[in-house]
Amino acid sequence: MRHDMPNSEHAIVVEQLCKRYGTLLAVDNISFTVAKGELFAFLGPNGAGKSTTAEIIETIRAPTSGRVTVLGMDVTRSRAKVIRRIGVLPQGFSSFDRITVRESLSYYARVFGCDADVDALMDLTHLRSKANARFSTLSGGLKQRVGIAAALVNDPEVVFLDEPTTGLDPHARHAVWEVLKGLRERGKTVFLTTHYMDEAELLADTVAIISKGRIVAIDSPARLTEQHANYMRLTLGSSDAAAPALIRQMGFDATRTSDECICVPVNNTDDVRAILGAIERAGLSLSGMEVRKPNLEQVFLKLAEEHHSDAANEGSK
Amino acid sequence: MTPRIIAANLTVRLKSFYREKSAMFFTLAFPVILVLVFGTIFTKPEHLDFDLPVQDLSQSAASARLLDALTTDHTFRITPVPGSVDATQYAREHKQTLVLVIPENFAVLEAKRLGARDASVSVPLTYVHDPSSTSVNTKIQVLDAIVAAINQKMTGTPPFITLVATSILSEQYRFIEFFVPGIIAMAIMTSALGNALNMNAELRQKGILRKLATTPITRTDWLVSSILYQLILSIVSTVAILLVSYAVFDVRLHIDAWLPLIVVIEVIAFVGIGMLLTPFAKEAESASAVGNAFLFPMMFLSGTFFPVEMMPPFLQSFAKLLPLYYVNEAMRSAMIFVDDAATLRLAGVAAGFAAIAFVAGTFKTRWDGET
Repeated sequence: MRHDMPNSEHAIVVEQLCKRYGTLLAVDNISFTVAKGELFAFLGPNGAGKSTTAEIIETIRAPTSGRVTVLGMDVTRSRAKVIRRIGVLPQGFSSFDRITVRESLSYYARVFGCDADVDALMDLTHLRSKANARFSTLSGGLKQRVGIAAALVNDPEVVFLDEPTTGLDPHARHAVWEVLKGLRERGKTVFLTTHYMDEAELLADTVAIISKGRIVAIDSPARLTEQHANYMRLTLGSSDAAAPALIRQMGFDATRTSDECICVPVNNTDDVRAILGAIERAGLSLSGMEVRKPNLEQVFLKLAEEHHSDAANEGSK
Repeated sequence: MTPRIIAANLTVRLKSFYREKSAMFFTLAFPVILVLVFGTIFTKPEHLDFDLPVQDLSQSAASARLLDALTTDHTFRITPVPGSVDATQYAREHKQTLVLVIPENFAVLEAKRLGARDASVSVPLTYVHDPSSTSVNTKIQVLDAIVAAINQKMTGTPPFITLVATSILSEQYRFIEFFVPGIIAMAIMTSALGNALNMNAELRQKGILRKLATTPITRTDWLVSSILYQLILSIVSTVAILLVSYAVFDVRLHIDAWLPLIVVIEVIAFVGIGMLLTPFAKEAESASAVGNAFLFPMMFLSGTFFPVEMMPPFLQSFAKLLPLYYVNEAMRSAMIFVDDAATLRLAGVAAGFAAIAFVAGTFKTRWDGET
């Protein structure tokens, strides 16, 4: 069949996808593509439609309208074929309590009918020392790593990881990130959904920001920050009442965030130097300073806010 | 349907079962305990053995002969009641449900009747009884029968009408033989339906079903795996029940190819029904409630513990709508009555239930969390 022919460039193609639950439009006319070998992060708050979109692409849910192809195959018409070539870590992954890590992985390998190297999978996910531990005895981070290993038993071309680090402590999150980096090095296409900005910024080649069922921005993390948050944030430690006024006179937007702190968005290091010089010349107190580069979090908050006010305006018309 | 996938599911489920020692114990031990308890309560001893306090006011050779007659076949254990006490008072004080009083003039009256051949003479034996007792009627009936036999013997002619018993059963059977097939059927139903419900609710709640939905496992694979798993548990449980029944109660049951066949039919039926009920049991907690709401009426109305014939007619008609009724009847028909034609008919109806439950169960098994 023509439409099932693999497309050489794109691992995933989503066209005008909608998913409706009763009156709620959870996914609202979404279109995007994921290139082969790319780590694609789907970023958004809880309830934005991330997991619903992911589950439609993973063939678990049926779309209301629109078309999704994975490796050139339509997910609704060629479900059985798609399933064999993708690996999925579903949201809140869990496995059989009284079955060991090794047995779990062997089970999923048997189900896929493939001769998976369970030891190699455990090495990749750093689970070798837990091979004979029962699933119920594992910590949250280890359970997620079992889920990632289980998603790899069929050597899939596309790996879906739905919120792999939600609820994990920082140490466990870093351990999962290491595994994800390993996947990218192996040339797997990775579709990651997350609500952690740092995770997307650190790992992703492309980030799609989703809010209320719509994609509000899609690009590399670097370009997103450049486009949507091209300023630095200077925080000054000064209790002097005159300081904010002085900075404002220089044409900057200074806000006192606390008794001790003043926050100033600046464009470059020259601006920082000029402000510090002016404070010194005026003889004002300065107890400390911090310059922060913009990050995805600011981009996200800005876009979410814009999208929210757009939606509110549309609603009021 | 893929045998490899079914084998993988079966391995995981059997390992899980084996590693949950307490669940394993109760699944296998519960029906055995039921057989032991009910078997012990309801199995009648070889010889009826009742206590019978007797106040012998006559204290004569004639009254001694009567007491001999009452105890010849060990039916009654006689306790003498002193002549000085009031029989009613004695019954109350000693918590006796029946006290027999032989009157003072018993010997005199007997002599008149037997010696003088005076047919108009009779002697009243008073019995003081507690009508609220459930067992007293049996004692009175037995007493009546013995008195009737003595009277008959005194007339010196053999009885004209005699009763000859011909059982419809291949062998004489006791309550325990009626009970064991019912317990086998009940144990299989409880375990099949309960496990299907609990397993699915648990897997759904934990999100394991969502993972399975992204694998090549199909609904049919899943249902067939559940049925085979349950079949293995049912075979083990049936063998355990039968071994205990034979060892402890020396049951006489006819075991042939019907038994495994009925077990297979029952497992398919109740695993299928379990799958059908899963939409009502979204969480593991509600699963047992839903299961019990279904299991208990089924158990009591389908003739597991007592024959359906004991129930009022409308409940009897209702029982005939329940799959367990046909399983129970088929089991008894095969194991007690040894009636192939009836077994075939009853097992056929049960198989019809099983086929519907299997097909509907396949369609109702849901992988994802969609509603």
